[in-house]
Amino acid sequence: MPVTRSGTTERGRITRRAALGLFALPFSSIQPAAATSRPPRIVCLDDGLAETLLMLGVRPAAIADRKVWQEWVVEPALPPEVADVGTLLEPNLEFLQQLKPDIILGTPYLDGIKPLLERVAPVTTIGIYTDNGHPYRNAVEATRKLAGLVGRQAEGEALIEATETSLAKVGQELAPFAARPLYVVSFMDSRNVRVYGRMSLFQDVFDRIGIRNAWTAGTNYWGFSTVGIDGLATADDARLAYLEPLPAGAGGTLTESSVWNAMPFVRNRSIMRLPPVLMFGALPAAARFARVLAEAMTAHG
Amino acid sequence: MAQSRSFLGAAFSRAGGRPLGALLLCAALTTFGLAASLANLAAQLPPSLWLNALATPNIDDMRQVLVHYAFLPRSVVSLLCGAALGLAGAVLQQVLRNPLASPETVGVSAGAYLALALATLTVPSLLAFGREWVALAGAFAALAAVLALSWHKGLSPLSVVLAGLVVSLYAGAIGATLVVLKHEWLAGLFIWGAGSLGQQDWVTTLWLLPRLGAAALAIGLMTRPLTLLGLEDEGARSLGVPLGIYRSAGLGMAVALIAFVVAAVGVIGFVGLAAAALARIGGARRLGQRLVMAPLLGSAMLWAADQAAQLATGPQGDLLPTGAITALLGAPLLLWLLPRLSLGTELPLLAAERLPRIRRPGILLAAIGLALLLLLVFALFCGPGPDGWSFAVGDQLQPLLSWRWPRVLAALSAGAMLALAGLMMQRLTGNPMASPEVLGISAGAALGMVVAMFSTVDPSRPAQTAAAAIGAFATLLAVLAIGRRAAYAPERLLLAGVSLTALFDALILLLTATGDPRAMLLINWLTGSTYGVDQGSAVLTASIALCLLLTAPLFVRWLDMLPLGTPALRSLGVDVASARLLVLLMVAVLTAASTLIVGPLTFIGLMAPHLARCLGLVRALQQAIGALLAGALIMVLADWIGRTLIFPRQIPAGLVATLIGGPVLMALLRRR
Repeated sequence: MPVTRSGTTERGRITRRAALGLFALPFSSIQPAAATSRPPRIVCLDDGLAETLLMLGVRPAAIADRKVWQEWVVEPALPPEVADVGTLLEPNLEFLQQLKPDIILGTPYLDGIKPLLERVAPVTTIGIYTDNGHPYRNAVEATRKLAGLVGRQAEGEALIEATETSLAKVGQELAPFAARPLYVVSFMDSRNVRVYGRMSLFQDVFDRIGIRNAWTAGTNYWGFSTVGIDGLATADDARLAYLEPLPAGAGGTLTESSVWNAMPFVRNRSIMRLPPVLMFGALPAAARFARVLAEAMTAHG
Repeated sequence: MAQSRSFLGAAFSRAGGRPLGALLLCAALTTFGLAASLANLAAQLPPSLWLNALATPNIDDMRQVLVHYAFLPRSVVSLLCGAALGLAGAVLQQVLRNPLASPETVGVSAGAYLALALATLTVPSLLAFGREWVALAGAFAALAAVLALSWHKGLSPLSVVLAGLVVSLYAGAIGATLVVLKHEWLAGLFIWGAGSLGQQDWVTTLWLLPRLGAAALAIGLMTRPLTLLGLEDEGARSLGVPLGIYRSAGLGMAVALIAFVVAAVGVIGFVGLAAAALARIGGARRLGQRLVMAPLLGSAMLWAADQAAQLATGPQGDLLPTGAITALLGAPLLLWLLPRLSLGTELPLLAAERLPRIRRPGILLAAIGLALLLLLVFALFCGPGPDGWSFAVGDQLQPLLSWRWPRVLAALSAGAMLALAGLMMQRLTGNPMASPEVLGISAGAALGMVVAMFSTVDPSRPAQTAAAAIGAFATLLAVLAIGRRAAYAPERLLLAGVSLTALFDALILLLTATGDPRAMLLINWLTGSTYGVDQGSAVLTASIALCLLLTAPLFVRWLDMLPLGTPALRSLGVDVASARLLVLLMVAVLTAASTLIVGPLTFIGLMAPHLARCLGLVRALQQAIGALLAGALIMVLADWIGRTLIFPRQIPAGLVATLIGGPVLMALLRRR
């Protein structure tokens, strides 16, 4: 597939983003805290919890699906010492046993294998995506819980604080853009997208930085809805931000179908490409989302 | 081939030369499609703008854009694909002289789909050469496998369909492995794989038109020679027709049509079968009529189904993939067709075959047993860890063993049970392609599991198990109810199983196409992972297996006699119907108990009895013991490979068994 109109503007934007490197400075305060006393050996079976741990300065002994971290989470960077225990749904039990963890962290999603995991080490379950539909609030709670668990309450409060501050800052920067609603999507294939809405972490971030989500229709338990591209035609003045990575087979380019090219946000060139952000993440993902969004929107103008 | 002419002629004979029934059906479907179309169109755009949107859409009006670039091409694509599949079905049925041949039943769609999925996930650059070539390669590979598998049975209708099912299952297993290894892209692949007709420009339409047109034209030009293919081989040869060439050419064109459709929109289930069969039943007796009526019916069917799907989900809804819906509708249709088809009586080939016979089976069985013991030692004590491979001893051993023995024991029991079930099915039906997977019971268990998973948020393992068992038994009852009418005639039962399997597959596809994260949990189970087997369920499975296997000797006399065929059994004073019923019940219980552990996707039931027979174990008892040991051996080996090959990740044991078993099975079947 040749590079589309959106693809060419994309290339221009990357250089502009590089020029705007200064922009990243305010966020350098949210860096992983330095590790000190011997923390418990933790196996973390959720990327959202794992990124929170890393920000608290605790390196998990192992996580699941290590190799997709770079593709879907990106930052905080994963130290090379963190081992891979296999897939999320079937972490290797023999391997886990030999790692001798003090604690295993997971989400209610893993309740099916909890009895197995408990034979290795005590399991702590922390849910971020729950019935209450407020992942951000849950992520704050999860941060406190994790901080208590590893004895780093101060770092925990600092992370919560820093995330709030950075969101507030992004909110100010994006105030000029608040008038137009925004879709945030991940491409499933060239015709269908996951659009994030109510009950998603991204929606909670939107609410805090004062951006209006263009997707107001229903979503599922995890805060997204899978729709055809044409389902995004409801708001005329909406912008669209799509998350990397693009699906396999798309060759890293967007669709160039007639319907896509007729979409209002394509015609008035209001599309932005965002680097990967963990859509089912916690506070670090929320901060990263706000930051990459701010970068993209200010660069895009 | 003596019966082939009779089913072509007699089975569908109707008075009169015009296909009135087919024409009426076509008109009814078209009327419905038109009404639904107008309703869908009206929901998107006021009628005053229709002409505008059709000819010169105003790009500023999104409604007109959607009608012109989404609604219209989607309608055209559904018409084109329906016609192509109907035509392909009619040609396949003619060339293979098989009223059940169709894009799905001969495995061609699955082959094309797998090739495209493989290329997409591993070498996307290959697609740059053209999706059609990738799809064609996969489609022909699948067809070649099916023909090779059913060749020794003279391509009889039933054997072709069963071979098609095996090849489809195998393609499905490879696809599932890909998904397990690359689950991030699950949702997108499923939307397409389930046959989504959604369009966003005219590109696909323009891509399809010349390709389908050329293939259809070629078929049209071959109408006369293709007609002669319906005759006896000798009859046609005496007319001086080079049969082989036209047969290959006809097959090639049909496969090309299917490959193009799969490359464009994914797998559209059952339209090909339904259109061709209904054209025939509707009175299109001559091939020329069928080559016109089948595409017309296919078009009308797919168009109506797609418009109905859009009525249900709103315009351009992709989330109820039309291909899965047609499969859902097609399966009951196949069940309805069954009693209306004359398939001829399959001869009890097992008894007639000359098999190598070993003189001292005891030694052979002991050798297999020893191999199994050796493997068990390896599977229990040997494996990789964080610091590389080790043979566990001393302190290490106890904790590692506590993980390993339940999985090994469960795999062992499941393998043995499946092997016995397969042996019973093959002896019962006299068909070497029979197996519990084919009965549909495995699929039924899977469906029970799906319902449990999607109706509660976090079902416990006992709840999942219970649901799967209920599904398995409900399916068994359905199969038995269908089979009762035919006095449990084996071929009817098998075909009922095939239909039910297709039905469940479509349902599962629909559920997974929603992109719900729970779909991944389901896939893990469907692919036969022994991961979740704890000590309790391992012991339970083993006890069930032991009890069932101990009752097996009671069946030995019947199993020795059943391949002789109904007339011979009657003359020996056997109550054939109740003997069959008991054997079937046993098969069902064995299958349900093992499917819960290793999922519905294994070839153990098909393969283990073959292995035993090829080793020269001929009498029922010897063969049963040999198959049990072989089944257990393969399953334990598969579980061990799955646990160690890509450590610390794991490949489900059921998949490994399929992947290593498939080629072995095909080699075994071809040799004979």
